[in-house]
Amino acid sequence: MLTNTLLIELGTEELPPKLLKTLATTFYKQIKSQIDDCGLVYDDIKWYATPRRLAIKINALVEKQEDKEVEKRGPAINVAFDSHGNASKAALGWAKSNGITIEQADRLITDKGEWLLHKAIQPGQTVHELIPQIVSSAIAKLPIPKPMRWGSERTQFIRPVHTLTMLYGDQIIKGEILGVSSSNLTQGHRFHHEGAIVLTNANTYEQELKDAYVQVDYQLRQSLIVSEIEKAAEKINGVALIDDDLLEEVTSLVEWPVVLIGSFDKNFLQVPAEPLIYSMKDHQKYFPVNDKQGNLLNQFIFVTNIESKDPQQVISGNEKVIRPRLADAEFFYKTDKKQTLESRLSSLESVLFQKELGTLKAKSERIALMSEYVAEKLNENKKQAYRAGLLSKTDLMSEMVLEFPQVQGTMGKYYAENDNEDIEVAQALEDQYRPRFAGDALPKANIGCAVAIADKVDTLVGIFGINQPPKGDKDPFALRRAAIGIIRIIIEKQLDLDIADLVSKSIESYGNKISNKETKQQVLDFVLARYKAHYQEQDIAIDVIQAVLENAPSAPLDFEKRIKAVSHFKTLAAAEALAAANKRVGNILAKFNGELYLAFDRNLIEDVAEIELADVFDSLNEKVTPLMGVKDYQAALTTLADIKQPIDKFFDNVMVMADDEKIKINRLTLLNQIRNSFLAIADISVLQN
Amino acid sequence: MSTFNVKTFQGLILQLQDYWSRQGCAIVQPLDLEVGAGTFHPMTFLRSIGPEPMSSAYVQPCRRPTDGRYGENPNRLQHYYQFQVMLKPSPKNIQELYLTSLKELGIDPLVHDIRFVEDNWESPTLGAWGLGWEIWLNGMEITQFTYFQQVGGLECAPVTGEITYGLERLAMYIQNVDSIYDLVWTDGPMGKVLYGDVFHQNEVEQSTYNFEYADVDALFGTFDQCEKESEKLIEAGLALPAYEQVMKASHAFNLLDARHAISVTERQRYILRVRTLSKACAQAYYDKREQLGFPLCQAETVREK
Repeated sequence: MLTNTLLIELGTEELPPKLLKTLATTFYKQIKSQIDDCGLVYDDIKWYATPRRLAIKINALVEKQEDKEVEKRGPAINVAFDSHGNASKAALGWAKSNGITIEQADRLITDKGEWLLHKAIQPGQTVHELIPQIVSSAIAKLPIPKPMRWGSERTQFIRPVHTLTMLYGDQIIKGEILGVSSSNLTQGHRFHHEGAIVLTNANTYEQELKDAYVQVDYQLRQSLIVSEIEKAAEKINGVALIDDDLLEEVTSLVEWPVVLIGSFDKNFLQVPAEPLIYSMKDHQKYFPVNDKQGNLLNQFIFVTNIESKDPQQVISGNEKVIRPRLADAEFFYKTDKKQTLESRLSSLESVLFQKELGTLKAKSERIALMSEYVAEKLNENKKQAYRAGLLSKTDLMSEMVLEFPQVQGTMGKYYAENDNEDIEVAQALEDQYRPRFAGDALPKANIGCAVAIADKVDTLVGIFGINQPPKGDKDPFALRRAAIGIIRIIIEKQLDLDIADLVSKSIESYGNKISNKETKQQVLDFVLARYKAHYQEQDIAIDVIQAVLENAPSAPLDFEKRIKAVSHFKTLAAAEALAAANKRVGNILAKFNGELYLAFDRNLIEDVAEIELADVFDSLNEKVTPLMGVKDYQAALTTLADIKQPIDKFFDNVMVMADDEKIKINRLTLLNQIRNSFLAIADISVLQN
Repeated sequence: MSTFNVKTFQGLILQLQDYWSRQGCAIVQPLDLEVGAGTFHPMTFLRSIGPEPMSSAYVQPCRRPTDGRYGENPNRLQHYYQFQVMLKPSPKNIQELYLTSLKELGIDPLVHDIRFVEDNWESPTLGAWGLGWEIWLNGMEITQFTYFQQVGGLECAPVTGEITYGLERLAMYIQNVDSIYDLVWTDGPMGKVLYGDVFHQNEVEQSTYNFEYADVDALFGTFDQCEKESEKLIEAGLALPAYEQVMKASHAFNLLDARHAISVTERQRYILRVRTLSKACAQAYYDKREQLGFPLCQAETVREK
């Protein structure tokens, strides 16, 4: 069959850079799945994106679908013909609608009867017929957070649309989408190419756009940018700090990347690197450069969208923009250092943490006490922990942090060093916000862990305490992140801390500010609910997590041990049968309403299998009890797994629900004890095979 | 390409007026009230409401009391100028129209790196939002470009395209100076006049007033009074005077802000009060125009003949 290249391009005004890649890949997925669904075959399909276009190219796409044979059933024979064999109105009508005569109709004969049948050939549709609809529904499915209108149009899109290019080889596929008619025209680079490009063939899309100064292949453009940045960094003996998000944003902001190097006054390097880096990256989308030792250089690399006739003007323009920003940072740094962090404590009195929960000063005092408490549990320096907790929020009052909120904590560290605070205290100020996002580093030292945990527990308890838990995607105090942070710190740093204990302590510290009586339970449940995400990220199966969650252990290390134990248990040969047995026991017990005996009564034993089960259980229990004492859940579960054979035998040979009430209750008591032994570790009945 | 000497501040303004006048805009004059942005001018705020077409351009002095720096910061002013263009409905070639204006200011897009960088606009006090960009010239923001989607809580149909040039920034770039006060305002037969000659003392004294002398109690009183007045005027169906009271209230609020007289939580409430008034004015204006039969819609068809 005939094949050719298909090109679809939507030409727009500048698209939001942080969304561009998502838009392009969604467009691609939508087009691909619809092309696949309608049975159009091709070699490969690829997406393209620049600030002013989203495009898809499909190589060797067949021109039309295969013809399909479809069977159309007509009236039953006894309806279709009268006793004389004359065709009825219904039969004639059916034949006519299929474009045949009654004589041309086939018969469908089954054991249920006989019908008229027409085997029609449904001709495959061509790309010209199919593509416009596919493109239009793919566009309708793009994720657009804020659709907009423009001019007098009623159509909506993420930014105004100017061109729709749909080419099959050199033929235009006719259609109209978002108020624009398709053509073979598209736009080149905004300044390097005057007027529209008349595309000659879908095949030569990349080259024809390249001739018009558009590097249309997103990934190629990105790797070009990276290699140009690296070359530039090498030129100045440095290493560029290439952050993935920034790289993506910059790639989405240019069609024709040209990398340049700018510089600023060396004196600015007396300011800590972080705020300088933030001004360059966040405000100006520059790539900062370190020397080979990791110290910030007074040069930066940036990506422009023009092969300038005079690059020096572009460079000095950019240098002129960054200068006042760095000067601001320098000014803030110098001013801030004149005042100690301690002296800022009183000013926290005028800043609310939350209306009902009081000021940041009060929060600092609570954090100090809680940090001290945690440090004591960890055998760390209590005084340092208290001090770090007390000073933890003071840098929020500095000019620098007011201007660059992202450097909170980090500036606290620098200012604490400047104030000659203990180095551990200074480090803890930086550590308190960690981990700030998924995959972020944890606090470096344990004093930092103490403050980080104290701050997070305080926020969780406070906000739950006034009944403002996160709802849906509304989580203004980032409580989910706080809870995951606590879990991660405690588990990964192997800290022997119990969240229930910390929460109680925190509730106490709030005094009468906490109005919600259920605070403790709600916070614990909220933290428990975060384990799923935490462990799923580590590829722990959901049933293993569920099994441990049933037990609701409030010490994260304990939780971790149980997860490991159950994961290991699941690999044992007996696991599946024991999960089933536990489930069975659970079901039987759930249906029983009476009271069990306090202990299993050996005098009431009737069956051999029953004796064997009781004996094995007793002997296992003797081994398990000390293991549970040292929380060796893995060994305990492995030991308990030996119950498999006797319990299987028991179920095969013994009627649990015996007629004799006493015997029945005795048997249930035994089963209940066994189940409880497992439950003390995890509910293995929820395990799936 | 420039007709006027764009290397002076006034030449820059004249060139922009001339350019947009040639594109068909009504060049109107600044609003004679204190406002924080050109968007407040009724030619933008009210005219972007309803179906009637309108295109205009004007200079608008803007006052942002909290930005005052006593004339000591070379980049910050509490009183500065915007050049505002509003085109309704936004024409298809609006980006090109804008870029041509830059060429007329002597900015060669094959030398400079000019970029449209996503920046969405929202004015909580005006109950308005739109989507668009800030325009970067070698990394410096020189213009705000917005497709209005909602104004005064009302959906914009057709959509107004708003282009706001930051005149001082642009002039500093064209004149290659590092301080606003060094900008040449004019250089003619009467000699050279600098921006500082015209405005430096004003910045020092107005900053002092804004931060130190503005009477907090009186301003709270003004705010309440303007709010009351505006509500009364809306009752009377007088949208334009009612809207003037909103702008006055809004300026009183800005001064109170500069005096740190409004706490964080209170701040939100005041913004909400201004927004409520803005929305009522927008609705009153729309109703009045509707009553009048949207005269500019009809005028357009008549005039085209």
